[in-house]
Amino acid sequence: MNVYGAWVCLLAPLAGFVLIMLAGGLITRTQAGILSTLSVFVGFAGALVSFLATVGEDAEHRSELSTAWTWLGAGGFEAGLEILVDPLSLVMMLVVTGVGGLIVLYSTGYMAGDDEERRYFAYMSLFVFSMLMLVQGGNLLLLLVGWGLVGLASYLLIGFHHDRPSAIAAAKKAFVINALGDAIMALGLFLAIAKIGSLDYGAVFEAAESGELSSTTVNLIALGLLGGAAAKSAQIPFHTWLPDAMEGPTPVSALIHAATMVTAGVYLICRTHPVFEAAPRVQHLAAILGLITLLVAGLVALVQWDIKRVIAYSTMSQIGYMFVAAGIGAYGFAMFHLVTHAFFKALLFLAAGLVIHHLNGEQDIRKMGGLRKAMPFTHAVFLIGTLALVGIPPLAGFWSKDAILAATLADDSVLGWLLLAGGLLGAFLTGVYSLRLYFRVFHGESAVAPARGHEAHGHGGEGPRSMTAPVAVLAVLSVVGGLLQVPGLWHVFEDWLHPVAEQLVEPTAGQDWLISAVAVALGVAGILLARSAYNAGREIVADGAARSLLEHKFFFDELYDVTFARPYQAIAEQARVLVEEPVVHGSLERIGPGGQFLGGLVGKLQTGLLRSYALVVTAGAVILAIVFLVLR
Amino acid sequence: MNGPGVPFYLAVAGILFSIGAMGVLLRRSVLIVLLSLELMLNASNLAFVAFSRLFGEMDGQVFALSVMAVAAAEVCVGLGLIVAIARRKHGLDVDTFTELRG
Repeated sequence: MNVYGAWVCLLAPLAGFVLIMLAGGLITRTQAGILSTLSVFVGFAGALVSFLATVGEDAEHRSELSTAWTWLGAGGFEAGLEILVDPLSLVMMLVVTGVGGLIVLYSTGYMAGDDEERRYFAYMSLFVFSMLMLVQGGNLLLLLVGWGLVGLASYLLIGFHHDRPSAIAAAKKAFVINALGDAIMALGLFLAIAKIGSLDYGAVFEAAESGELSSTTVNLIALGLLGGAAAKSAQIPFHTWLPDAMEGPTPVSALIHAATMVTAGVYLICRTHPVFEAAPRVQHLAAILGLITLLVAGLVALVQWDIKRVIAYSTMSQIGYMFVAAGIGAYGFAMFHLVTHAFFKALLFLAAGLVIHHLNGEQDIRKMGGLRKAMPFTHAVFLIGTLALVGIPPLAGFWSKDAILAATLADDSVLGWLLLAGGLLGAFLTGVYSLRLYFRVFHGESAVAPARGHEAHGHGGEGPRSMTAPVAVLAVLSVVGGLLQVPGLWHVFEDWLHPVAEQLVEPTAGQDWLISAVAVALGVAGILLARSAYNAGREIVADGAARSLLEHKFFFDELYDVTFARPYQAIAEQARVLVEEPVVHGSLERIGPGGQFLGGLVGKLQTGLLRSYALVVTAGAVILAIVFLVLR
Repeated sequence: MNGPGVPFYLAVAGILFSIGAMGVLLRRSVLIVLLSLELMLNASNLAFVAFSRLFGEMDGQVFALSVMAVAAAEVCVGLGLIVAIARRKHGLDVDTFTELRG
């Protein structure tokens, strides 16, 4: 039963994609949206059936591998088209299809009136399918397939507005960096095939745990996986694509660049944790990358002016927390934060979408303000999302982020203390930049008049029901979603994941509450700082060298430009001057005249005189006759 | 089986073929060239039949019959073309047909 549900879950969005693509102009744009929404919700139903069937099993029998057929075999290597249904993949399936369904439903309102809605919804279904492929894939090869497909869907959707050069550039950037990550991961997998001979999870984990592989091999495989994870999850040093990816439509940012795809790296580390545990230094590297990312992103978010970019940096920062958790072996907490983050970050993006929709596409927070009165509903849900992000109890983010911080305390090593300090600083920064955004958008004087014509949509001019309903659902989830796990009382979520990914660190309830108190205090301090700065009418980071550093995002783009883009361009330029123009272009230029010259030579033979042709034929026959006679 | 032996038939065929070939090469009238071609075809027919007689098999005679059929068809087309060309502007002199010079 659980397996059938999972197959339905996987294939329904694919069917939606194929149908919309094949139907083309036969269906209206609205129908395409409905079809896409339905396909994702059918997938959610499948995941739910699968989940309920799995809950009924014992903890030990919750993992099931279903093979459709042997997908490819080469020599001793075989990989099946198979899906893995276990507690970890079920969590992801529910999040992807559940949150995804809500966001696609929201899109039907948000994208209404766009000329190319069908294409949009087809891509959305394709993305959901790809993401499910990634999380359900029963071996590392299928995971890599999903990994590549989500990159493709992300590229297509970031560049959806293909008439905007900035969108095209952002899509290319995202694709190139993701392709780099895919390639690094593929190298790790090649090594695994060479040394282990299989990409099945079981075989790889067994080989990693048994210690039969050399430490170099294990480290390299883990590094390959980490490279893929960091690129997909926009962690330093592969993070530069995510803020630019905000060029895509807002629901795309919510679904792909907040709730699901960018968290795939966290899923990967949790899924392949035996490999990382066999290579502890690489695992610690993951935690350190996460720490650097969460601090850098938190700082850069302080000076951004684009509403979506602020949220994008906060996404990077929150995924940094997940990497920290996964890096010290707190897989349950990493996944828990992934789930709650999916709720409140999708909520924030969709609420931001309502604001942008209301203001007719305006994204600059300097031109916003005073929306509290005009959009009370949006104000309320945005505030819920913001406070959940900061980690104010009892909202979802409080439970999950503080669990991660408590785990760093429980880790009790130099690294653990470092992570704890960084994480607490990050919590403070989160409070500052989130509330800066909130005050800028919803408080103060109204800087721009609301666009006319949107009042007709109903719901107090905040958007059609199809947009507000998903936002309301996500707001409820952001409030109650954290209650899956209450320290000292129950830990349902952790127990659920226990058979797949056993935690390496387990904070005590005392540590948990202690950290919570400190983190909440820091978050509130951040909020107060943001408020006093806003009331005083000044920026948090005043002008100067620090602000310049942050506005240039720590010069990562410039650094990559100098180290990679420029030399590459120089090489390409040299290749053009030295190879293409003389060899390729030159030879093509000479082929034409050369052919004409040779043709002229042959043409001389064609006298047009019938008798000369006859003479040639006769002479040929005579020569042949002589040859035969002589050779006989 | 009396009468001249096969070598005599072959000799006649060779002579006829040579006359035809010379005609094709040397004469300038298109009609005569066509006629000479027919002569060459019939020389080969004669050789076919002679060999057929020599080996006692029917293949050569079958070949000769089909050559006749093809020759008849070819003459129809050839004569038609010659008439068309002659009418268009040229006379019957092959050396003036030089439109296909490269």
